[in-house]
Amino acid sequence: MRARDLNKVELVKQKAMELLVKIGFEGFTMNKLAKECKISVATLYIYYKDKDDLILQIAMEEAERMSDIMLEDFDPEVSFEVGLRQQWKNRAKCMLENPITAQFLEQLRTSTYQEQVYGTIVNNFKITLGKFMTNAINRGEINPMQLEVYWSVAFAPLYNLVRFHFDGRSIGGKPFILTDKALWGTFELVLKALKK
Amino acid sequence: MEPDFKDILLFKTNIQTADDKMLIAKVMEKHKIEQWTVDQQDVDCVLRIVSPILKLDDVIQLVSKNGYQCEELT
Repeated sequence: MRARDLNKVELVKQKAMELLVKIGFEGFTMNKLAKECKISVATLYIYYKDKDDLILQIAMEEAERMSDIMLEDFDPEVSFEVGLRQQWKNRAKCMLENPITAQFLEQLRTSTYQEQVYGTIVNNFKITLGKFMTNAINRGEINPMQLEVYWSVAFAPLYNLVRFHFDGRSIGGKPFILTDKALWGTFELVLKALKK
Repeated sequence: MEPDFKDILLFKTNIQTADDKMLIAKVMEKHKIEQWTVDQQDVDCVLRIVSPILKLDDVIQLVSKNGYQCEELT
C-alpha cells in the first residue's frame, strides 16, 4: 500500500482553509483547490469523498487541535484569576498563531456545517470551562450568572481585539495592531468586571 | 478505517441530478457495490468507488450501459 503522504495532506488542508476563507463555501471547488495545491483532482478524491467530506474532515481536525491548545496547562480547579489569565493566554496564542484556522472556524460557525463539527468536539471543552466557572461561583470569587453572560464578559472582548487585529483596523478604519499591553490591559478590565 | 488507496476508483461522470443518483444507486445495489459516492457539487460529478475487486473498465462499462458518461478521472 502506498503510504498516505502526510506533507501533501497538510498542504491540502492549509490551502483548503486559505481558499475557503478567501472565496467562501459556495465558490469553493475541488478543481480550484487542486490547482492551488498543484496536484490532480483525482488525488484530492483519494483523500476525500467529496467537497462536504473535505470541509468536515478538515474542520473537525482543526477544531480538535484548537481546543487542545485552548486547554493547554489549564486546570479548572485553580483560582479564578489564574485560570482566566491562562485562558486568555491560550486563546490569544491559538488565534494569533493560527490566523487562517481561526478565520475558517469562525466562518464555519455561521454555516450549515456548524452542527456536525461542534456537536462532539466542543463537548469536553464546554465541560471543563463550565466547571471552572462553577468553581469560581462556589468559592465566591464571582457572582452566579448564566454561562452565556459569563462568556460574553470573559472572552468576547478578547475575540473583538483579535478581530480588529486581523482586519488591521478598528472603528472608523483606524489602523490597529494588537499589542501585549492592550491585550493584558483589557484582561485587567475584564477581571475587574467579573470579580466580586 | 482508511481504504487502501489502490482500491479507490475515480471517474468523471454526468450523474448530475437526484434522479440520476437514484438510478445509479439501483445499479450499484444490483452489482453489490457498497462503497460508492458521487460528488454532485462538482462539475465532474466525480464517482468514487472503493473496491478491491472491480477494475476501471468494469465500472466504465457498467455506468455507460446505463446511459451515463463515465471516464477515468486523472
